[in-house]
Amino acid sequence: MSLLTLNNIEVAYDRVFLAVKGVSIEVPQGGLVTLLGANGAGKSTVLKSISGLLAPERGEVTRGEILFDGHSLLALDPPQRVRMGLVHVLEGRRVFGHLTPQENLLAATTMHRNRGEVSALIDQIFQLFPRLAERANASAGYLSGGEQQMLAIGRALMTKPRLLMLDEPSLGLAPFLVDEIFDIIRRINETSGVAVLLVEQNATAALEIAHSGYLIENGRILMSGDAASLRSNPDVVEAYLGGHQRVDYHAVKHYRRRKRWLS
Amino acid sequence: MIDWILIVELAINGIFIGMMYSLISLGLVLIYKTSGIVNLAQGAIAMTAGYVAWALATLMAVPVLVIAPIAMALMFGFGLLIERMALRRMIGHPVLMTIMLTLGLEIFLRGLLPGVFGAAVKRLDLGIPQAPLFIGDILLNRATLTGGVIAMVLILLSIWFFGSRQGVVMRAVADDQTASWSVGIRVERAIAVAWGMAAMAATAAGMLWGATQGVDWSLSLLLIKGLAIAILGGLDSIRGVLIAGVIVGIAESLATGLIDPLVGGGTRDVVASVIILVTLLVKPHGLFGEAHIERV
Repeated sequence: MSLLTLNNIEVAYDRVFLAVKGVSIEVPQGGLVTLLGANGAGKSTVLKSISGLLAPERGEVTRGEILFDGHSLLALDPPQRVRMGLVHVLEGRRVFGHLTPQENLLAATTMHRNRGEVSALIDQIFQLFPRLAERANASAGYLSGGEQQMLAIGRALMTKPRLLMLDEPSLGLAPFLVDEIFDIIRRINETSGVAVLLVEQNATAALEIAHSGYLIENGRILMSGDAASLRSNPDVVEAYLGGHQRVDYHAVKHYRRRKRWLS
Repeated sequence: MIDWILIVELAINGIFIGMMYSLISLGLVLIYKTSGIVNLAQGAIAMTAGYVAWALATLMAVPVLVIAPIAMALMFGFGLLIERMALRRMIGHPVLMTIMLTLGLEIFLRGLLPGVFGAAVKRLDLGIPQAPLFIGDILLNRATLTGGVIAMVLILLSIWFFGSRQGVVMRAVADDQTASWSVGIRVERAIAVAWGMAAMAATAAGMLWGATQGVDWSLSLLLIKGLAIAILGGLDSIRGVLIAGVIVGIAESLATGLIDPLVGGGTRDVVASVIILVTLLVKPHGLFGEAHIERV
């Protein structure tokens, strides 16, 4: 059984604007799945519907079902969902700027009662990100973009998730840092078996580490498949990977939403 | 000729009075630090606590050491109640509306409680001896001395608290509520706890001031002094409360002792207002307030 199943969900903002129009996604146990799409395609909205962070933005899941580990998430508030084992790393990192990295990590441990466990977890994160340990006592707001992204991922890992959801971790980072961050994501997935749902615009980098992917546009899933087939699909190459050949506009295909009759 | 003994005496008494004022500021800072709003009802909450303590003392005839914890517990609940009934509904609305709400609450309580308990000044006796204390030539007021020491202990406790995990969580909530939700922090609960703790600080203030000047609606005027200290110290710094409390206390005490005889009185209340004005003009973040971090 999959760890996370989205079944034909619809999300509306302000009860008017339909941002996600029937999206179905599956993330298997320990899988690394990427959700690709352009600006405004609805990627972040999908993540927020899973983590429950739609409410502060007056969004609402109006149809469909979200199952995590076989349990429906829709009635739970965000902290309860985190306690079930999923965590959302927000777009733009959103570290607690006035707190030190150490305090950032500590703030994410409200679900752990045992103090020894908490300090062991903090040590673990600092081993994973030695750069954070070096700056453990500076204000997180003054860290560099890459360090803040590492801190945001580390903070999310403090909740001991089974599913780590990342919203554009490559945003605003230099190319070599993007490689470093993606390498870390792959390592987390491989060594600790945490499933990852990675939302990205940087399709090249994302498809390199993902096992499978979905392509979302205008609130609908256009295409899905394993990473290798998406990488070699000529239309994906053209639209997302910076294709080299000239486009033949007579041959342009228009994808329609794939009908899903089952499940 | 300058009377140095008088000045030293005024300054020392001022320190302790300032500490007692800063109990109000402590509540303001606690709430500002977690939810980013200024609670203009803090003075009225202290007044409510004064009335509650007085009612308990008249009803039960037990020593102060029993009344104080009961009053604290009741007021903690009162703080939670305000958050639950009024503040939680304001989530997603502009901050200014929430601040207006607290101002409305202040006016409401100021009218309601004297209405219920009667407007006459109530005497609240905490059992602190009236006789002044002499250290050398310097005369100290026992009531302010006790109050100041209690206030200082509470402020130091709060500083310690904000270093603990629950305190770090509350600072995180102040920094970014959405990010706090995303890592499993129960934001509403953290804010409720801040309101409860602020109400407890107000209880200490209400009882100590109620014992020195009597319990009536004018206890809520402590808000102005509390605001002056909180603004001077920087609204989100408890260390700032401690130091600004001392400064405001000394300034007020010296003004009353030295300038009042020259101008015929009334400077006591001007000092706080002048401090608020000057701080906002010269150093809007206060002495220890955190500026917004912007990385270039």
